[in-house]
Amino acid sequence: MTLQLRAINKRFGKRQVLNQLCLDVANGECVALLGASGCGKSTALRLIAGLDHPDQGSIRINGAEMVDVPAERRRVGMVFQSYALFPHLNVWENLELGLRMRGGTAGARDERIRSVLEVLQLSGQARQRPSQLSGGQRQRVALARALLRDPLVYLLDEPMSNLDAQLREDLRPQLRRLMIGGEQPVVYVTHDQQEAMALADRIAVMREGCIEQIGTPRELYLQPASTYVAQFIGRPQMNLLRAKDGVITGIRPDDLRLDSAGSPCTILSREWFGANQMLLVRCDRGDLRLVCPGETEIEAEPRVSWPSASEHHFDAVSGRRLPSD
Amino acid sequence: MTDKPMTRGSMTRRTFWIALLMVWSLGPMLWQLVSSFTTADALVNDQLSFWSRWTLNNYRDLLTTDPPFWRYLFNSSFVASLTTLLTLMFAIPAAYGMAKLPDRWRGSLRAAVVGAALFPYVLLFLALLELARTFALGNNLIAIAIPYSALSMPLALLLLTAAFEALPNDLEDAAKLEGLSLWQRLRWVLLPLIAPASASTAILVFLFAWNEYPVALTWLSRSDLLTLPVAMARIAGSSTYSVPYGTYAAATVLGAIPLLVLVLVFQRQIVSGLTNGSIKG
Repeated sequence: MTLQLRAINKRFGKRQVLNQLCLDVANGECVALLGASGCGKSTALRLIAGLDHPDQGSIRINGAEMVDVPAERRRVGMVFQSYALFPHLNVWENLELGLRMRGGTAGARDERIRSVLEVLQLSGQARQRPSQLSGGQRQRVALARALLRDPLVYLLDEPMSNLDAQLREDLRPQLRRLMIGGEQPVVYVTHDQQEAMALADRIAVMREGCIEQIGTPRELYLQPASTYVAQFIGRPQMNLLRAKDGVITGIRPDDLRLDSAGSPCTILSREWFGANQMLLVRCDRGDLRLVCPGETEIEAEPRVSWPSASEHHFDAVSGRRLPSD
Repeated sequence: MTDKPMTRGSMTRRTFWIALLMVWSLGPMLWQLVSSFTTADALVNDQLSFWSRWTLNNYRDLLTTDPPFWRYLFNSSFVASLTTLLTLMFAIPAAYGMAKLPDRWRGSLRAAVVGAALFPYVLLFLALLELARTFALGNNLIAIAIPYSALSMPLALLLLTAAFEALPNDLEDAAKLEGLSLWQRLRWVLLPLIAPASASTAILVFLFAWNEYPVALTWLSRSDLLTLPVAMARIAGSSTYSVPYGTYAAATVLGAIPLLVLVLVFQRQIVSGLTNGSIKG
């Protein structure tokens, strides 16, 4: 099973939301669409689901053209950011509604719902309304509904952005176990680069309706195609030095070293996280973020340097990566 | 210690205002209730002793006339129920459609509907009478529900459109992706969610049809087909020389009972529908 988007254009009024978007997602592959809000990532997802229609372009699932297939018949399983559980139905009825409308015997239905509730540890909540559930439980009901859809493609629209950080970390393994790495392609929309790196096989960084770069998390981290991608992937974000001769130099905060032979700096701020700490220092080339182990003693006026091999070079005008020489 | 008397003071003051409001709004009804059990003599003569003032004759008179009063109650209930049914049947799909329109059309359409809702419908009754004549719709309880539901339509549309607009879009999208067709989405997801708004709309439409006078006066003339307001006006004007206050009061009381029951039954939905925002996503 594969998902293919070809030359998708979509505009809302005067705003071009998607501009010649192309994307391929293979069987069992999870591609994260990552980008700031308004970059078109959610629109792309809604087009795949059939909730909106592209102005131009083609969407294929398993080779079958989907643009003219209404959302009701596309067989996609979607998890909404708001969960979109039906507030007037309890958990069991929420899961049953779609199955009942699509036909099948009552016995088989009950069996499937029971097993999904079991897997997601929701058996005790089957008779509760969504309003009585915690955020994490609602999220799991939404996952259960998407699983029961028996879809050709899974679409996840910021499924965890309404949960606190702790819960998100707890849910990631569940998500990976249930949806990601099965037979279906998975498209995962998020603005959280950490979540994308943790879950996705490939990440597509989107900007103004286009994919700025697509690749494995490793490729994006080590070879960012532009300053935009460089700043989006990796936390704390990459230091970009002031342009010199039309070239912007970027250095990851982890590549900076305290070095008595380096250039002198003053400390602007210091954040201590235990295992490591982040310093914001000012040197003659600009302000730099620096990450070093938590135990390191910091002098009042440290000196920093970096190996030239860890420098990234970008064109000052276009922001594109320059080939390393 | 210091603020306790103050709280108590404001509490008693609030109780006082609420009591005044109750007297103001319930007073006339209580008066009617008392009058309906009072003999005609007692109504004009306050010298009568307390024990000789009371009677059930007003009610007996009302129920033994030809046609008996319960006939009008039935007529009104029938017309009002049919009107409510017709109105909701057309207003719900129309409101759904209006809520889905693109913004630029919705604004002008809503303005037109508001205009229609505010239009004094009394000005239409001659035109409606013409229609009744042309299409032979007079003296027909089913036919009169047509202008009634048409006249209630703008208000019903406004209330129901607002209810549909208040629903989060994600809910319908989720239902779509679950494979539900348009009718299935309406039946299983949207209608249950706008039930409070539908209930309050239904009550308002029912109330309009129950109270409506000018159209009923012109469309209905056979005495066994009259609706309550017209029938009551006839009672009031039945004698040239006196107004039968007692009978009239009894008719008022009987005419109010079905509405009271309706409001009591749907109280919760009406309140939550009128205050809206009751739907949590």
